Amino acid sequence: MKSFRDHSSATDEELVEGAKKGDMVAFEELVARHRDKIYARAFSMMRNEDEAIDLSQEAWVKSWQRLKQFQGESSFGTWMTRIVINLCLDHLRRRKRQRTESIEVLDEESGGVERQMPVVTANPTERLERAELRKRIDEALNLLSHEHRTVLVLHEFEEMEYKEIARTMECSIGTVMSRLFYARRKMAVLLANLKTEELK
Amino acid sequence: MNYEAQLKLQAYLDGELPAAEAAEVQDSVDRDADARSLLAEFKNTSAALEGHEANITLPESREFYWSKIQREIERAEAQAPATVRPVIGISWVSWLRKQFAPLAGVASLAIVLGLLLTRPSAGPVSDSSVIELASDDMGSHTFRDQDQHITVVWLDDRTQDSEFTPADPLASVQPE
Repeated sequence: MKSFRDHSSATDEELVEGAKKGDMVAFEELVARHRDKIYARAFSMMRNEDEAIDLSQEAWVKSWQRLKQFQGESSFGTWMTRIVINLCLDHLRRRKRQRTESIEVLDEESGGVERQMPVVTANPTERLERAELRKRIDEALNLLSHEHRTVLVLHEFEEMEYKEIARTMECSIGTVMSRLFYARRKMAVLLANLKTEELK
Repeated sequence: MNYEAQLKLQAYLDGELPAAEAAEVQDSVDRDADARSLLAEFKNTSAALEGHEANITLPESREFYWSKIQREIERAEAQAPATVRPVIGISWVSWLRKQFAPLAGVASLAIVLGLLLTRPSAGPVSDSSVIELASDDMGSHTFRDQDQHITVVWLDDRTQDSEFTPADPLASVQPE
């Protein structure tokens, strides 16, 4: 392992090896490198800043405790991302158990309205400024149910395959396909509606 | 398009279909305007989401964010002392113990063997016996307990302790 002053120039693999031996400074460097990505993933799923900060920090604590299990099959960033995703899913499941079943899920199971919605032919995000596009996507993501949003995040941001999403979310591949379909259609409609509202 | 065809179209876009089925869907896209529209809608949504997370940054400073993680790690480790990780710079006592433990064992063995070799050869060793070593001013005694597998060695200054050890050891020797 390199000396402390070299942590910033060390590779992730070197830092992981150091952290496995108890080097906290090496671990802190790993946190500094990946913290934005881990937080962003938590925020995408939770849509709440405080929850995303808490869960991302919990993910880092868990990763320190489980570092010996990390054998380098994937990159450290990918391994960390999976930890935070699982924590967010656990949190969402716990929260859902405390609530009554949402209308979103009932819609999904009974066919929903998205299947009948007209296709959005024009690209609603065309010619938008970057900041404006970001704002509009954030608003649309906030309006999705957590089941729809999670499957969209795992597919679009984490680039997971259907079977991987099914395993992560503990559901069937058919459910993944169905949720992804509704999530995409809703996003398209929400983005189009937000544009229409702005024009008014 | 029915629901099944819509889901298949989506799987086609995501590269989840086997080659033969993908070719069938491609044919339907070529023939069906609705399929083309839906496919375009899916693509627009994916394109809009691309890179979206890269804009999200943590609203806390590096030091503040890390301090909370560090505190939580230390708190968790304090609660589970059996699984505490070695912390660089603090575990030197355990390091020394680890390094010198074998040496201490060897030294103990050498002392015991040395004392055994100086034992009088006459007579069998009983389970509990006292061995006296000849010395003018210093007495050395070894107590061995075979059952407990322990050996205790003690030294005494005969010139100081006249009550138990005569100053002149020969004085206590009775002529045969």
